[in-house]
Amino acid sequence: MMRQWISQIGLVIRLEMRKTFLSRRGLWVYLLALAPVLIFLGHSLSEISNRKERQAMNAAHPVSTAALRSITRDMTIEEVVEKLGPPFAKVEFHRPNGSFDSYQYTDGDNVFGFTFRNSRLVGINERDRDTIPKDSLIFAGVFQFFYLRLAIFFGCVGVFTNLFRGEMLDKSLHFYLLTPIRREILAIGKYLAGLVATVVIFCTSTLLQLAALSLHFTGSEISEYLAGPGWGHVASYVGVTAAACVGYGSIFLAAGLLFKNPIIPAATVLVWEGANMFLPAALKKVSVIFYLQSLSPVVAPPDASMPGLAKLLITAAEPVPVAWALLGLLTLTILVLAVAARKARKLEINYSTD
Amino acid sequence: MNDRIVLDNVSRFYGEVLGVNRVSLSIPPGITSLVGPNGSGKTTLMNLITGLVRPTRGSIQVLGISPADPERLFRVCAYATQFDSFPRGMTGFQFIYSYLRLSGLSHADCQRTTAFAIGRVNLGEAAHRKIAGYSKGMRQRIKLAQAIAHDPRVLVLDEPLNGLDPLVRAETIALFREFAAEGRHVIVSSHILHEVDTISDQVILLSNGYVVAEGQIRGVREEMSEHPMQVIIRCTRANLLASRVFEQDHVVEVRLHADGGGLLVKTRDADRFYRALNHLALDGVGIESVAPADDNVNSLYEYLIGGEESTR
Amino acid sequence: MAVYKRTYAAYEGSFTPAWSRFLILPRYSFARLWQSKFLVMFFMACFFYPLGCIAYVYLANNLSILSSFGIPTPLGQILKVEPSLFLYFCWVQAAFTYLLTAFVGPSLISPDLVNGAMPLYLCRPFSRTEYIAGKMSVLVFLLSLVTWVPGLILFVIQGSLAGWEWTRANIWIAGSIFVGLMVWILVLSLLALALSAWIKWKIAAGGLVLGVFFAGAGFGTALNSVMRTKYGTLLNLTEVMYTVWSKLFRVTSDSGIPVEAAWTCLAVVCAICLWLLARRVRAFEVVK
Repeated sequence: MMRQWISQIGLVIRLEMRKTFLSRRGLWVYLLALAPVLIFLGHSLSEISNRKERQAMNAAHPVSTAALRSITRDMTIEEVVEKLGPPFAKVEFHRPNGSFDSYQYTDGDNVFGFTFRNSRLVGINERDRDTIPKDSLIFAGVFQFFYLRLAIFFGCVGVFTNLFRGEMLDKSLHFYLLTPIRREILAIGKYLAGLVATVVIFCTSTLLQLAALSLHFTGSEISEYLAGPGWGHVASYVGVTAAACVGYGSIFLAAGLLFKNPIIPAATVLVWEGANMFLPAALKKVSVIFYLQSLSPVVAPPDASMPGLAKLLITAAEPVPVAWALLGLLTLTILVLAVAARKARKLEINYSTD
Repeated sequence: MNDRIVLDNVSRFYGEVLGVNRVSLSIPPGITSLVGPNGSGKTTLMNLITGLVRPTRGSIQVLGISPADPERLFRVCAYATQFDSFPRGMTGFQFIYSYLRLSGLSHADCQRTTAFAIGRVNLGEAAHRKIAGYSKGMRQRIKLAQAIAHDPRVLVLDEPLNGLDPLVRAETIALFREFAAEGRHVIVSSHILHEVDTISDQVILLSNGYVVAEGQIRGVREEMSEHPMQVIIRCTRANLLASRVFEQDHVVEVRLHADGGGLLVKTRDADRFYRALNHLALDGVGIESVAPADDNVNSLYEYLIGGEESTR
Repeated sequence: MAVYKRTYAAYEGSFTPAWSRFLILPRYSFARLWQSKFLVMFFMACFFYPLGCIAYVYLANNLSILSSFGIPTPLGQILKVEPSLFLYFCWVQAAFTYLLTAFVGPSLISPDLVNGAMPLYLCRPFSRTEYIAGKMSVLVFLLSLVTWVPGLILFVIQGSLAGWEWTRANIWIAGSIFVGLMVWILVLSLLALALSAWIKWKIAAGGLVLGVFFAGAGFGTALNSVMRTKYGTLLNLTEVMYTVWSKLFRVTSDSGIPVEAAWTCLAVVCAICLWLLARRVRAFEVVK
């Protein structure tokens, strides 16, 4: 009997792959996963181009880092040019409150921007070259605040709610229910089909994002990073991605079975997960994102553009150890799947026009 | 194994709307037709038998198997629904093959069985085309092929002859007869009453969720004593025969045909009438043909259901 | 009665005005919508914040009430009615309208496409423009009731409490409330209708309405942080709208994008939505 069930699960997975994931309808999930790869790729290509430009500029207008750092506010344009020479880029613009000049210098690695108002230095903007630790923080922020909470979230909403509710709308679910397969096995098979698809798509995207991000670093920098925490970070991010698919997948499979309109519970979960940082410590633990953030190798700082009042409302909670996080996530998943399987057993076909 | 489909006091409500109410049936092997107007409960009954919906009350057994046990039920049962929708992106062959594999057949057996089922419905040439490109008739046939592929003992078909041309219709009916002759159950719902007449071994008439009659057509007709049997007789001396027939006390009405070459007789006792006719035939009335006029499903429908519709 | 026994005659009565026939669509849409208890409850919840704002405005104009409750006057002087109050009003009510649209919008056009009702509408003397206007009026009416209508009521209350001088000096706020929120309603309605027309599944269309805003915002933020730019904000429709509102209410915006870019972004979104609607709202469907 167990062999038959396993065989049927495998057949359901294969059927779902052909029907849903390798079809045009699943294209948007691939695009959602590809979007952050394109951002990091664009950034890396831009950095590569900028570095070449900076090095060329420095060769044409050599300026030392010490000289650049010696410039202070209230210096005039003439004083700055006398110390550093002509800038490699210059912009003038006029506003009602004065005339502004922006001068840019580089020491080959860093870019210094000096802003003058009515010929007096009022602002110094130093943009250091990207380093792997700096980019790791940016990646952590993008991963935790965009990729996990939005890209994987919505990808799982689309894939997993489609498994039952979408087939109901397509009026093709009854073909499964008219075969000699237990409804619970069908639910498990569909869940695993969704899981295989989302894990492959989103884990591949995670790896490609990391690869795209590291494209503009030198070989030695990358080797040094990988020799240190690098491989651990890569494995952790891929693991967190897979864990997100496991957790969100079970919730949205159940939502597709339990609710006629699964968007309402999806919106509720979205708001709950989004408000997670403001919840008390006890309530924080009743969410998938809490465990995923506990598993993340780098803690992302809160969004810099968040209003100060909102930052005050953020509550800290001790991250859960990895083993507990995985156990918590698995327990949540199994409980939700049990509810989903029970509902699948009592499923009725009612293709109403609503 | 039990060879009947048994429904015991089954009711199904959709909220306040009645699907079927207090239906008790014992369906033997053979071709059983479900007949009734739209909304009478035919599809609900089929959905109940196959477990797509659960009864609000009562119990159902299909060859001794409960519909709540799909793992066992769908090894012996198949259902071709009325829904004209299919999984996206599949060819006819893939459609049958994919779901057939869930029955536990190996890849090779499945391919062979699928090809055979497709051959039985004459869709061999279109088997590897996408179902989305099929005509209505082809879609009906591929549904039928999918239903018969695993050689079920019980075949439940919701309006299977819809959209089929006369030739294919005849072939499909022949297929049903073949199944029935092998001792299987074929449950068919249809609005084409003259075909129901031709193919059915027994009929179940439904109206407003209730079973108004069930059994063999002739047997049901004989029980309807409030509607006298009508017999059409073609003869050379219709006037003479009419006067002779009026002498029978069980005859309630005689109508001469406009051409004077026959008459329509209404009698409360068909057996006595036929016995009397044997004697009357010797009086030189020149009987050419004798046929019952309302011993068919159309008449049953008209009497049992048509009357209810007109009083609404 | 048998068909052949019926006699049919052409209608000879008066006709309704042609311009008003598109209102038939919202009539039936609203009848269906108000059957949803969830919608009714959520709709009522949309008025809690305006009521709170009215209480705030009343207290700000009647500080003596605070002292009668023992609240020191300097604390009461924090209560001020400035254009930023109305800006935040727009911001909060916009969030409610967004959720309302995600719930109501997908059920407007998707079911007509799925159930083959589009040819039934368009084979009558009823144009596509009227169809879209009718469907859009459902959202415009519903969202107006929770946005600029209570907004203008709030302004009128403030004006009546603060006096004629205040009202005359700040009459432009009323215009900003109306224009700002109508632009938001227009964008939201077109977006919801376009997604409802493009995605046949009502449920998926609802998810996409949520996704466009949340994922767009997230993607824009990611773009900003990775590319060190501010123009990723143009993908965040709520921030874009906030930039426009800030300009209308004469408050400094910290979104980092120029208001011209924000208006252009909104215009592009509306144009794309109209194009999607023109492609999908047809009496026929090509099946591949």
